[in-house]
Amino acid sequence: MIGRLTSLSKNIVQFCIFLRSKGFAVGVEEEAIMLEVLQFLDYTSYEAFFMSLKTVLCRSKTQWDAFDKLFREYWEQVSQAVDAKLKAETKKKKQPVSRQQQFSSLMAWMKGNKNKEAEETAAYSMNEALSRKDFSAVPESEVDELMRCIRNLSRRLAAKANRRYEFTRKIDLPDLRKTLRRNLRRGGELIDIIYRRPKRNRLKLLLLCDVSKSMELYSAFLLQFMYAFQQVYNRMETFVFSTSLKRITPLLKQKNFHDTLELLSTESDGWRAGTRIGESLHAFVEDYSRKLVDSGTIVIILSDGWDMGNIDMLQKSMKIIQEKTKKVIWLNPLAGYAAYRPDVAGMKAAMPYIDVFAPVYNAESLRTLTKWL
Amino acid sequence: MSNLRTTQLQDIQNMLEQQGYITDKSVAMSVFLSLQLNKPLLVEGPAGVGKTEIAKVMANALKTDLIRLQCYEGLDATHALYEWNYQRQLLHLKMTEHDSHSVDEKEKTIFSDAFLMKRPLLQAITHHQKPVLLIDEIDRSDEEFESFLLEMLSDWQITIPEIGTMKATFIPQVILTSNRTRELSEALRRRCLYLYIDYPDFEKEWLIVKNRVPGVDAKLGAQITRFMQELRLLKLEKTPGIAETIDWAVALSVLHVDHLDKTTIEQTLGVVLKEWRDTRQVQMSLSELMEKTKIHSKFDSP
Repeated sequence: MIGRLTSLSKNIVQFCIFLRSKGFAVGVEEEAIMLEVLQFLDYTSYEAFFMSLKTVLCRSKTQWDAFDKLFREYWEQVSQAVDAKLKAETKKKKQPVSRQQQFSSLMAWMKGNKNKEAEETAAYSMNEALSRKDFSAVPESEVDELMRCIRNLSRRLAAKANRRYEFTRKIDLPDLRKTLRRNLRRGGELIDIIYRRPKRNRLKLLLLCDVSKSMELYSAFLLQFMYAFQQVYNRMETFVFSTSLKRITPLLKQKNFHDTLELLSTESDGWRAGTRIGESLHAFVEDYSRKLVDSGTIVIILSDGWDMGNIDMLQKSMKIIQEKTKKVIWLNPLAGYAAYRPDVAGMKAAMPYIDVFAPVYNAESLRTLTKWL
Repeated sequence: MSNLRTTQLQDIQNMLEQQGYITDKSVAMSVFLSLQLNKPLLVEGPAGVGKTEIAKVMANALKTDLIRLQCYEGLDATHALYEWNYQRQLLHLKMTEHDSHSVDEKEKTIFSDAFLMKRPLLQAITHHQKPVLLIDEIDRSDEEFESFLLEMLSDWQITIPEIGTMKATFIPQVILTSNRTRELSEALRRRCLYLYIDYPDFEKEWLIVKNRVPGVDAKLGAQITRFMQELRLLKLEKTPGIAETIDWAVALSVLHVDHLDKTTIEQTLGVVLKEWRDTRQVQMSLSELMEKTKIHSKFDSP
């Protein structure tokens, strides 16, 4: 791809193309700026040349960090290309089609397209990653994507307007009643104007997450979900349960996702055991609900509803939780399948006490969830 | 301003250093290009590495005014641009109630410069000379404000409905800083040159300390700097920046301390660390840290 161009400016343009192939959003404008910079720069100085390219073409910390290596890579290849150019041209013409190539294309025709196969495996690889048992297999990039989703979600949750109003210093709706009251002593002349705005609902979130054996397939996603939510949303508590209940809010407050993973894997003895939703919810109601739950709380339960415990207890606890809170959202990773019916005993028992029942298994489904909230 | 055309990289570096800002080539280059191309400069980096300082120093060096807009959540156009002084307008109307001016004339007077409260952005645009405009911690503002800023940064004009469009008399030299608490939009990034400042290496930090705290004991200064370098390698909640190093050096030299030892460090750790968890962590690994930085307390070694 990289050829040698004689003039410096052409080379810069090609370097921009090279950067673009590496994910830099370098546009024509940046190229133009860079060419402009050359006019008043001593570009015989390697350092000045390098620094100016870096300042103009980088846009973020990631790019800033990656730039040095890419720069070296490109200009090394350019100098190599000086010798290689002539050889490469003659080689191209004379190269005969080898037998091996003929054979493989024939095979491909007979057995279907190989490339297509590769594509399919790529598409399935996400499931594979999810089913991995090792916590550290969770890629950081997916966390970022999820964080973005959840940030939108939490903003929407935090910004729900109330019907009441509160005082504001910003210029917003004038509060006539208070304005008149305040200005009475000036004979009713409106000098001070008082403003009001719709009161924001500050919702509390409470996440109860099933980490039992049957949810293992989704554990990577669950972890990301819990971590991302806790990072983004301040007024939030997180619990995990399988056979017993555990509060993990402090563990999720780590700045670095890998730190959280480390902490969780040291503390996750009871993970992937059987599920006793009823007992766990009961424990929650007994131990925490008085302190952590009120009518401004949304409870999110992440579980597939497979239960081996006390169904009666599940029903009772769900009832209490629903009565105490604003809304109960049950997110079920299985509900994404078209054929899914909530027939499991645990799910059936809980169903009457759920306000929103929705599928969630990846970032995409989370996005659709936004409209339910 | 005209002499800037001929200013070269080294001159910029000297100019910054004359103002007491120790810098390296990358900072000098960014400032140089930002001046030459007349483009805003976006400076990112951890807290306390001297991002805001660049703007102050530039304003000093260019002998112009620094106009500062501190961003915060909920910052909106009225706080950044302009606001009408309602009280004065009302009082004025009241006082001129019995004048024979027409309504149109009255309107013209109350929507004039006298009743306009200029906020930083409008100030910057209408300034009598080319100012340095510092938009500090842009990542703290909302996305709406960021989009609003785009318009100003590209057209250099502001429209006030009652008066009309105000075009910039001089395009300000803009410095934006960000701690990366929120990702900035691609559109904003595209309008700026970019600079990332990291924590300085030992030589640079030592130079800065020497420069900013002239009275500091040479041995103490070097020890402080080395200690800070090691401290930043720890996983802290809030990693201390250069500002903290300088504070510490000042504090210790005021106390007439000429070398670091365990008790001194323990007593003054609060200058450097602002989280109790960090303090606890450092206290626990203090001996190790001192070992690494080769600080020996006279009580430790015979």
